[in-house]
Amino acid sequence: MGGIVALTDQREQNKGETGYNWLFFVGGEAWYLRLFVIFLGTAVGGVFYVWYSQHSNDTSPDSIAGYTYAVIGTIFLLLAAVLYTLKRRSHKKRTVGQLHRSLNWHICFGVLGLVFLFLHSFGNFNPRTGTYALYGMIALAISGAAGRFLDRLVPRLITGEVHKALTVMGDDRMETISQKLQAIVVHNTQDLYGFAVVSGEKSHEASTSLVSLSGPVSSDFSFMHKDQALQTPWDLAYISLEATPQELSRDANHYRFIPDKKSELTRPGALMPGAQEHISELQEVEQAMQRELFYRYIIRYWRKFHILLALLTLALTLWHLIYAAQLLLPVLLHP
Amino acid sequence: MLKAGFRSGANSVVMLHKTVPQVAQELHACIGCNECLLACPAVTESITIDVLNRETLAGPISVQVARFARSCYQCGACVAPCPVGLHRDDMMMWLKVRILRSGWGE
Repeated sequence: MGGIVALTDQREQNKGETGYNWLFFVGGEAWYLRLFVIFLGTAVGGVFYVWYSQHSNDTSPDSIAGYTYAVIGTIFLLLAAVLYTLKRRSHKKRTVGQLHRSLNWHICFGVLGLVFLFLHSFGNFNPRTGTYALYGMIALAISGAAGRFLDRLVPRLITGEVHKALTVMGDDRMETISQKLQAIVVHNTQDLYGFAVVSGEKSHEASTSLVSLSGPVSSDFSFMHKDQALQTPWDLAYISLEATPQELSRDANHYRFIPDKKSELTRPGALMPGAQEHISELQEVEQAMQRELFYRYIIRYWRKFHILLALLTLALTLWHLIYAAQLLLPVLLHP
Repeated sequence: MLKAGFRSGANSVVMLHKTVPQVAQELHACIGCNECLLACPAVTESITIDVLNRETLAGPISVQVARFARSCYQCGACVAPCPVGLHRDDMMMWLKVRILRSGWGE
């Protein structure tokens, strides 16, 4: 394909953006706007907290200020949960990059919700329900922040493993190594038996279709059946003094008939030079692919873990609301 | 074959990424509907599918596309909306590998 051929000129052509750093950062105006909103919300909540603490004696979670913080914090958390979920599921009038902006707002509202609900506690962590709900929210925010960190780190790791599993041209490296290994096995099998291969046969079939040579005969065996041994011609009128293929093969350095314990050939894999290296390479590629699978599992299951934590926090918050309602309703109904 | 033997063994591994011929095949099959980009939570800038397709396989990579490739976290949100069943995440992976290799001076 033309596109693949063009890869050969990749080095020369690729003068654009290069490099894939660990934990790179892409800011932009939208990101700074969300950061500003977080600081503004936190500052407003903090200033009100200080002011209220100095001007009121009722600094408890069930004071007016405490309820205000609780309501605002709950609204922020609901916005964080609902807006992004709805935006992800809705495909109406969406533009490129809108989902990313929604994700940024999701983070912004999540952080603000946690801040306001923390202020709602007024440092009172005695009620178990509220404390557990707050712990749940803290865990949720931490898992979200860790998720964003993993979103930067893990894809970079996956890319490194895929780079190992692909050749320079982008082909499957395991396939390429396997073919080389297969060729080495076939080649060494041929050398080991000292047989000639029937011309026209495929290399992987060669080991099962070898023909023994017993004389100085022509190398054209196309007239023979592949399983038929070569017979001595009936009209053989002379005996050649030239070395037979067996003698040539026996005298060659790579093949010896007499076992020699000191010989290099006695070492494992000596008759298959390069095979061990290829097998090691295959194992490396296999390990890279297993690591890739593991990293992909991290990305997939961290999202599920975050959603699970969100559901758990929601349950704890509802438990806390029921507890608060049990305290509030009698006061409101029977003042 | 040897490869099949490795894969059918106890420590069998599955190839989760695509090779360049497969990526090229998917790029040729892309109808340019933009659904993958609309569903992507990682893309920050307004990138057109034509530019992305053109720069994925070979050639220079623009700043916007490189940023997008680095930001892509392989969540797979782009796969389900594709009307022709293509795997944009695999195409992005090859783009990531290219960016990684370009950083190493290849």
